Formats: sequence, C-alpha cells, structure tokens
Amino acid sequence: MKVAVTLFALLVAAPCAAQDVAAGEVLYKQKCAACHQPTGKGVKGAFPALAGDALVLGDPALLSRMLLVGKGGMPTFKRLMTDQQIADVLSFVRSSFGNSAAPVLPDVVAAMRATLPASGGPTGPLGN
Amino acid sequence: MEQQESGTSRRAFLERLGAVGGTAMVMAAMDAWHVPTASAATAPPALTGAGKGKTIVILGAGHAGQVAAFELNKLGYRCIVLEARGFAGGRVQTARRGFTATELGGETQRCDFDPGEYLNIGPWRIPFHHRSTLHYTKQFGVPLETMVNDNDAAWMQHNDGSGALKGKRVRQYEVKTDLRGRVNELIAKAATSGQLDQQVRAEDRELFLDYLASSGRLKKDLAYRGSDLRGYVKPPGAGDQPGTIDDPYGLSDLLQSHLWRDFQVGEYTHPLTMFQPVGGMDQIAKAFEKRNAPMLRFNCEVQQIRQTDKAVTVNYVDTKTGKTASVTGDFCLCTIPLSVLRSIDTPFSDDFRAAMDDATYVPVGKIGLQMKRRFWEEDDGIYGGHVKLDHPAIRQISLPSNNFQGQKGTLLGAYLLFDGATEVSAMSLKERIDYALAAGEAVFPGSYRANFERGFSWFWHLAKYNLGGWANWTAEARKDSYPKLLNADGRIYLAGEHLSYLGGWQAGAIESAWQQIEKIHQRAQQA
Repeated sequence: MKVAVTLFALLVAAPCAAQDVAAGEVLYKQKCAACHQPTGKGVKGAFPALAGDALVLGDPALLSRMLLVGKGGMPTFKRLMTDQQIADVLSFVRSSFGNSAAPVLPDVVAAMRATLPASGGPTGPLGN
Repeated sequence: MEQQESGTSRRAFLERLGAVGGTAMVMAAMDAWHVPTASAATAPPALTGAGKGKTIVILGAGHAGQVAAFELNKLGYRCIVLEARGFAGGRVQTARRGFTATELGGETQRCDFDPGEYLNIGPWRIPFHHRSTLHYTKQFGVPLETMVNDNDAAWMQHNDGSGALKGKRVRQYEVKTDLRGRVNELIAKAATSGQLDQQVRAEDRELFLDYLASSGRLKKDLAYRGSDLRGYVKPPGAGDQPGTIDDPYGLSDLLQSHLWRDFQVGEYTHPLTMFQPVGGMDQIAKAFEKRNAPMLRFNCEVQQIRQTDKAVTVNYVDTKTGKTASVTGDFCLCTIPLSVLRSIDTPFSDDFRAAMDDATYVPVGKIGLQMKRRFWEEDDGIYGGHVKLDHPAIRQISLPSNNFQGQKGTLLGAYLLFDGATEVSAMSLKERIDYALAAGEAVFPGSYRANFERGFSWFWHLAKYNLGGWANWTAEARKDSYPKLLNADGRIYLAGEHLSYLGGWQAGAIESAWQQIEKIHQRAQQA
C-alpha cells in the first residue's frame, strides 16, 4: 500500500517540481525547529511533538492546512511559504524523527490553499 | 502563491511596512483600511454603584488584568489576581542587570548589562494618541521621556537594488530630499507643459507649482539641483565657511536603490515622536503592581476553570510549592493569551472554543546589544531613531533614546517578526548575538563588533505563558470569531490586546479591560 502511495505520489508529482526533502530540512531549521525542536519532539504542554503525531502522519491536505492557517501559538505560514516550500518541509517532517509517511505534493498544498478565504490577514513575509 | 489579495500592491505595501516598522505598523495599516485606527477610549468607564462585596477572579497580571483589578477595586469589588509568573506585567518586561528568563526548550539567560542599561523586551514605545496608556502614566506619575521614533540623520543602506546607491551608506535626509526634489521637478514640468491641465484647475495651477517648488526646493526654472535639506559635504561654519552641498542623487539611482521603500511610514500610527518611561517600560507595570499588591497572587498557574450559573471556580497550582488551590468568584476576567488559554481545561462552549482557535499568534523577538561606546552618536551624530537596512531578517537597528551623550548604550540590534523570528530563535544564544552583530557591522564597519560588550535576546513565541507576541486576526476571523469572544461565556469574560484593534500595543490591553469591566459591572449591578 505504502509503495503504491509513493508511486502514485511520484507520478502525480512529476509534472510539477518534485518535493525536495533536503530543502525541507533547511526550511525545518528556519521555520519549525525553534518550537518543535531540532529533534521533532516539541516541548510538552506548549509545542506538539511531530514524531509519531497523528496529524503529521495523516491526511496531507489537513496537515497542509495547519501550516497555511495556523492555530493558537502555531503561526500562519500562508504568506511566508510557497506551496513548494510547504510540500518540502512537510515531506521532510513525514520522513524524519522516526516518521515514515508518504511525501506531500505541492499540488495538495495548492489545492488546500485554494479553499482558504482570499484574505489571509495582515501577515507578510519579512525575510526578503 | 500570492494570488488571493485583491491588490498585490497592497500586500507588497504591507510587507514593506512590516519590514520597516514592524508588524504593529502592518496591523495599524490594516486597521486603517478596515476600521477606525488608534486608541478610541481616553479614560476608564465612569462606573457608578458599588461592588457589593462581589468577588472577581482575574487571570493574569498583565496590563489588562491590572487595569481591571485597579478599577474594580475602587468600586468595592473583591479582586483576586492570579499570575503565573513571579512578577506582574505580562509582556511588559524590561531586561536589566539580574533579570533572568528561560525560553521553552532553551537555556536560562541572566542579563548582565551594566547598571542603568536595559532592553524593553516587550512593548517599547507609546504613540501620543494612545491616551489610555498615557492616562495611567500620568495618574501614577511614571516619568516619561521622548522616544525618538524616526531620525532623518540615521543611516540607510540597501544591497537589494542596483545603480550607484547600491550598498552605499547614506543619510535618510539625503534620500528623502532628493526623492522629493526629483519627483516634484517632474510633476512641475508636466504641469507647466500642459500635461496636467485636466487634473489641475487653471486657478489652482500657481499654488500647485508653488507647493511643488517650495516642498521640493526647486529653482526658478523648476529644476531640482540639490538643497541644504539634504545635508552638506562641507558643513557651514564660522568665518569664510558657507558650506558645500553635494550634487543630488539621480532619480534612476534613487529608484533602483530601493531605498525609497523604507519611507512608506505612517506619520500618525507610528509618529516621529513617541514616549518611553524613564528606566524601562516595566515602570508602568510596577506602578500598577504597587497599587494592586494586596490583590496579586504570584506563581499561580491556572490549571482548570469551572463555572455554574452562580459562580466561577479557578483551580491553580502554586509553582513554588507544587500545591494546588482554588478560588471562587462571582465572575472571572481571563486575560490569558488565547495561544495559552486554548490548552487549559476550560468550560467554554464549543463555539467559543472554536472562535479562540481562530486567532494565531505572531512569532516575535528582540536582541539587545550593550555597546561600550555610543559610536552612533559620537562618530555619526545619530541620536535615537532607526537605522534602516535590507538584511534578510533585520530591517532596522534602533538606537537608544535614553542617556544621550552617556558613556555606554544599549541598542535594539534586531526586532524580529514572523519567519525572521522563528529562524533566529532556533539559534543558540551566542549565534543570535553573532547574527545581529554581523548585520550591524555592515552599517557601522569597524565599530559595531569592536564596541559590543553584552547581549540579551528574547522571543515571545518561546515564552511559556505567552506562546507568541500578539494575536493575529485574519479579516475573516475578525469578522466571524472575534465578536464572539467579546461576549461572556457564562460568567467568564476575556480581555487583553487580543480583543482590541490595537493588537500588540499596551493600549489594546488597557482599553479591552475597560470595555469588559463595564460589562461585568453592569451585570453585577443587575444581579
């Protein structure tokens, strides 16, 4: 099943840029590691562990939504990351810290982004 | 990726505002588009009647909680304020010698600045129109001094453009004056050659040209050839020294430099002149604390909130002793940030809880650098204000507005937001300082690193009882969820900057408390 999913993922990913787990690792350090920790173990009571987390390992669309929209202390990355970057970092997280789930495709992120309201609020990328 | 906004120019504008003035500026601009901006209330609600021995349990001793306790106590309510930290102020904190703090997942930092040196790690400036904040500084006699929020003499340096000004360190007055002069010249020449006859009435034309010529310092032929407003290469002085003005920068170089991006600054929302309390922003929190002392209980971490149709009970743990205890009151005013509150065991309805989850919090942090010599003043004549740069994360270096011409000074080497904050906060304490020093060294070569003595960095998304700088409401969440949280859930009311359109500002917390205590009082009077 997993092989099939992976194959399917590769096929679907082919037309657009494939997710880049190495790039995802760099992004993880920049955007995620401060809270979820370099180990992916999080901080109890504040930042959820990503290792073995149901949301992390589950539906890529719902996982993408968490990055795009945020919740509580988890900021929105809607304006801060491209679909490709979100796919990269999620693919890294899903294959690290003992996790072993299929990569997330940029198309999945794009599709989720398209369902969100047009205005994402007053956040904006400050890193360029 | 950025397909959604009705105008990408608006988004770009906000990005730039954020880069230049911080998120608060972005939020202020957003507010300007959607709702009235600035501080709406100037004094606490005039409440009559008495508290009739009723008890109000207040959660959090930040400004919102302290304002509520201070005002409700005057009406005769019995107020109990539970504060998780060992001191009051919430995010209104000042790091100075001996200040100790530990970020989640991080090492404990002990500030070792010299006596008198400090860094406001939370709010750091008070606009003149935040009359609610100024209401209490005046009432409590908290001494204020001018916070120089803009300084035309401060350097700016951009490497992201091209042309002759790329990477060149220039004074803001040079760029401002030349841009205005060059642009006014073009408009004036268009106006005198008939190109603006449709837009400018004939009887207005002379005044229009007068305005362009005087504000742009144009010559009689409407050309801009430089002006003393842009400063001198050889300053004027005694005897035979009239001073020499340099040739102005060319329009193309100015545009290609991208320096102009730093000038889209609101003059009202972030006025040139602001205030800061002498000795640190926490002086305001301490002034409240002094007056509220009998009502404050420190090291009380809220574990659970329960309510009936008659009362609210809050169970908490004393973090010093590990012992649990509870307090019961007629009403509860909860000022805990939503990012933290959502993980506490609360009795809120599903609808209320969903609304709370619609706010996300902004990663924010600061890095303060104590310098052994005020080289920005001594060498460059820059007294306060912000040096502007195009570093990937550090868009400005803010120079201290206290202790002018003193020996040492502590500058704000980085005010980081969003992914700039997440990235730098993942670094070790030493790496953070090195990162900030590298950015400053580019603008003050030979001085910045050489004069550095000690640093202190703090990130609010890694603060246990904050989990973020301030609430970020999208337009949709502001419309759908935010109004729900302004109403009570049973006998529990929320207050804080997150329930204001002054997000992140002290005035937001104060005015939110004013709004909510009025509701509580009215209801208590009816009971």
